[in-house]
Amino acid sequence: MSVGELLLSARGLDVERGSVRVLEDASVDLVAGEALAVVGPNAAGKSTLVRALAGLLPPAAGEVQLRGRPLRAWPRDALSRVLALVTSEEEGPDMLTVEDRVGLGRYPHRGPFRRFSPGDEAAVARAMEQTGISHLARRRLVTLSAGERQLATLARGLAQEPQVLLLDEPAAHLDIGHQLQLFRALDGVRQCGVAVLAVIHDLARAAAWASRMVLVSSGRIAAEGTPAAVLGSEAAGKAFGVRIRGHAVPGLPHLLYMFEEAP
Amino acid sequence: MTDIGRRRTTLVFLAGALLVSLLVATAVGSVSLSLAGVVRALLEKAGLPGGDANPLGPTGEAILFSVRLPRVLLAALVGGGLAVVGAVLQAVFRNPLADAGLLGVGGGAALGAVLAVNLGLASSVFFALPLAAFAGAMAAVFAVYFIAGASGRASVQGLLLTGIAVSALAGAGTSVLLVATEEFRVKTVLFWLAGGLEGRGWTHVHAAAAFVLAGVGALVLLGRPLDVLSLGEDEAASLGLPVRATRLGLLGLTSLVAGACTAVAGAVPFVGLMAPHALRPLVGPLGRHLLPAAFLAGALLVVLADLGARTLSVRFELPLGAVTAFVGAPYFLVALRANEGRG
Repeated sequence: MSVGELLLSARGLDVERGSVRVLEDASVDLVAGEALAVVGPNAAGKSTLVRALAGLLPPAAGEVQLRGRPLRAWPRDALSRVLALVTSEEEGPDMLTVEDRVGLGRYPHRGPFRRFSPGDEAAVARAMEQTGISHLARRRLVTLSAGERQLATLARGLAQEPQVLLLDEPAAHLDIGHQLQLFRALDGVRQCGVAVLAVIHDLARAAAWASRMVLVSSGRIAAEGTPAAVLGSEAAGKAFGVRIRGHAVPGLPHLLYMFEEAP
Repeated sequence: MTDIGRRRTTLVFLAGALLVSLLVATAVGSVSLSLAGVVRALLEKAGLPGGDANPLGPTGEAILFSVRLPRVLLAALVGGGLAVVGAVLQAVFRNPLADAGLLGVGGGAALGAVLAVNLGLASSVFFALPLAAFAGAMAAVFAVYFIAGASGRASVQGLLLTGIAVSALAGAGTSVLLVATEEFRVKTVLFWLAGGLEGRGWTHVHAAAAFVLAGVGALVLLGRPLDVLSLGEDEAASLGLPVRATRLGLLGLTSLVAGACTAVAGAVPFVGLMAPHALRPLVGPLGRHLLPAAFLAGALLVVLADLGARTLSVRFELPLGAVTAFVGAPYFLVALRANEGRG
């Protein structure tokens, strides 16, 4: 896996939930080491896109390829060793310790019966360190804040040691300190060559973090490119029904965004 | 104390308490046997040193081996089985209040039992009542799977709702049959419905042991897939678990165990809720840790409850199901209050 290698590629995805088409003709590429933000208004199909890319929702048309091989040709456990999904919905059983929760991320590597190896232990310790929750290892999930639980879920994904990391609103419950901690963790794994795709609600945060951005609106990919290009596009203003203005600030590597209701 | 230390202490304590309670429950009853005599007779039977050929006299021997021992062992099997079933279902449904009733086991078993009594089979054919109860439980579980699965994929919500509907339907059938049953037979059904182990013998022990021990063993082996499943469907699937097959396998095993327990003992409520709930803070929720501990705790609970059912009243036996409910319901109210306090 080298930076720039194409890892995940979706072509012409149609996804239906019930009989409703919620995603239409979506194509996305994800290369090793990049940070791709998926943005869009509520119910635009962002979560559907992420779940389809993770192989949880079979597309009605189109195909997702992981390292050049169609997703459905991957055995489920082999797929989970290469691709991890982290959502903000799953919280884990209350009485589970953080360490055990993160340890379940080793399931694709261990299966139902293999014992916990030193390699597993190292992966779990590393994942907790990267997410800054090593000090919480022995705590039960019920004693944590929502943000700490969310970081534990991310650590579970990192413990899978994936090459592709998909996240659905990973910062949903996080205060600003935990948010910065989370995006720093994502940058850490990205620098090791992991491809990271994250659905992010906060446009300013997404623009500051991502190297590339995809705008999903009404089930279609409405714009794609650098954050500045996507947020500066007409499609972005139309999708959210707002006016978006980016301001260059001396000393800041990215634009600072202001949002106003469209007249 | 470290987590491993606390787990070990809990297991050792539960195993010790279960052993003592098994011996005491075997010795105590309407005819008391000496504890030392019981121990010596059992050692002799097992061919271990320290035994004695006939320490209790012929009547004592007969009570010990054909009445007390099978009953006490059956109590342990039923309690252990129901506690493990509760722990597994609570993880599968991700709800601390889940138990075998959700799958229609109790309702189906009651319908089967009432049918056997109504047709007069229970009094004329040996072992007909437990067999009919077991068949009823399995029929209800199949109905739940089939109906929930017919609407596409059997989701957790679909299973819950279907389970409630099928149980209600079985309950209605039971009421109708009860009314239509001749009066002198009704008492048999009522005794069975209330849950109890009076008059159970080795046949019951063997039948229950086959299902409970094999089922619990398989469930403990499947502990890790159970842990992954307890994280929720999406996360389990994204960790490579075949969610539907795993859930079907786990629910099938729990149905067999719960069906067997209910068939031999009738309704024994709250054991499946209480034992796992009390143990989760001590040993954690991972299957490999929780299920063995829950088995021991459930066994201990029902052995003691049955001892209470036999000895609390000198005039008649209390229904076992009533004793576990007398203990379980207040426990649950207190536990709920404590949860709220923690907020």
